Amino acid sequence: MAAERSNVSNDLIWQLTRTQNAYLVKRNSGGGVQFSRDPLNVLNKHSFKYAGYANTKAIGVQATEDGGVVAVTKKPGTAQQPAKSLATVTYGPNASNRKIYKGVADRTAKYGYRADLREEAVARVSALRRTQKPKKDTPARKPRGAQARKAEQESA
Amino acid sequence: MASRPTVSIASAEGKPTGATAPLPAVFTSPIRPDIVQQVHTGLAKNKRQPYAVSEKAGEQTSAESWGTGRAVARIPRVSGGGTHRAGQAAFGNQCRSGRMFAPTKVWRKWHQKVNQGQRRFATASALAASSVPSLLFARGHRIANVPEVPLVVDSKTFENAAITKTRAAIALLQALGAGQELVKVSKSRKLRAGKGKLRNRRFRQRRGPLVVYNPETDGKELVRAFRNIPGVETSSVFSLNLLQLAPGGHLGRFIVWTSSAFEALDTVYGTTTTPSALKKDFLLPSNLVANADLARLINSSEIQSVLRAPKGEARTKRTNVQKKNPLRNKQVMLRLNPYAAAFSKEKLGQKPVEAGKPESASETFLNTLYEE
Repeated sequence: MAAERSNVSNDLIWQLTRTQNAYLVKRNSGGGVQFSRDPLNVLNKHSFKYAGYANTKAIGVQATEDGGVVAVTKKPGTAQQPAKSLATVTYGPNASNRKIYKGVADRTAKYGYRADLREEAVARVSALRRTQKPKKDTPARKPRGAQARKAEQESA
Repeated sequence: MASRPTVSIASAEGKPTGATAPLPAVFTSPIRPDIVQQVHTGLAKNKRQPYAVSEKAGEQTSAESWGTGRAVARIPRVSGGGTHRAGQAAFGNQCRSGRMFAPTKVWRKWHQKVNQGQRRFATASALAASSVPSLLFARGHRIANVPEVPLVVDSKTFENAAITKTRAAIALLQALGAGQELVKVSKSRKLRAGKGKLRNRRFRQRRGPLVVYNPETDGKELVRAFRNIPGVETSSVFSLNLLQLAPGGHLGRFIVWTSSAFEALDTVYGTTTTPSALKKDFLLPSNLVANADLARLINSSEIQSVLRAPKGEARTKRTNVQKKNPLRNKQVMLRLNPYAAAFSKEKLGQKPVEAGKPESASETFLNTLYEE
């Protein structure tokens, strides 16, 4: 983008949109914490570093419906062509966690992409995988005290 | 600028036709939200209609003050008897059925003059912002499937009143990747809060794409085709409106250009050096900095070559760490005490005292001391 337009840069876009944008979630709770709904934001945090729309290179990690994980990166140099600007890699529900970590870490940090986001991206994959685990039922309550004695008598 | 960037022209099916158009100079004008917001505030006031309360409201009684001495406030009171109204206070803004404080007047200053230069600057700025996909995303437009921004459609699509039906217009927008945007708009339709419901503003909804055409070549039939699609607006390239280019004063409206409208932009706005053909005395505003990319400026060899080397060593400041005891932790001791290395290397701590133990005092000395 910067190569094509001399009047626009990532810093400028951030300054134009940091007070208000479509992704920004402002709440008074938590000391006025600000979040972002940007799909290309690995921490869902409203800041220049994590703002996917304002950076030429950014990674987004989302869960898929079937229980897998999808990693989306922006292709630098295609900012003016939104339809072409995203590269997507999908990991199925049976892919091992370590393979996904490795894949996401490589896509984030290799070839001078965004090494500063690697840890957060991997952490997000980990968090998503944890939510995708089937929930265990709480074990049945063991009878205690009088109930236990009664149950023992009945079984005996 | 070595070569002016070009924009590819899309066919009605959303595929590139192969033809390109040079990017009009207006897209390189400075993006100034402060100017756009100020001009928008002024222009948005120019559609207002006067309102006021009736001149007579609260004044239609012949009340007179009772004066002092009757142990009631000296406010005018309605005269007469036989009705509850008699004796009640009147006129004052604090009174029931009194006039309001400072009754509104129809001759309030409803409209705002905004200087022509500022209006033109704001329009150019809003147009420049409309060509930045990031700003479109930040404004909330769903443009992820759009082939290119600025989105230019071949004018052949509209030739000879080809698009007169809304169905054809919707199909065109969907082919151009704006389908999600139309869905977003129609889903956003909500009942307005408050009295506006009664005043012909029953629903509120998001804004969708703005279709900009050239009436001379594209004709005006497309206006009818597009006007019933929720959120979609049309505008002639010769009369662009800031209220449409930056709704709410927010930069980055999604614009669909017809190719002839896109090519007409250079005649409408001119460039930074050649004046506009249609606007009197207008040159496009130029940027204060030739390159807006701060990181590139800072890292350029011109800047880096004149900077002095950073002072001190590269060291991360550690916060919130446990304090280490330098007497037990050698590395911490070395950091604190530069002599510690030499001290331990020479084993100075283990060395016996050089002169040996001090000799005990002689007997004669002790005898003299105690004077026995």
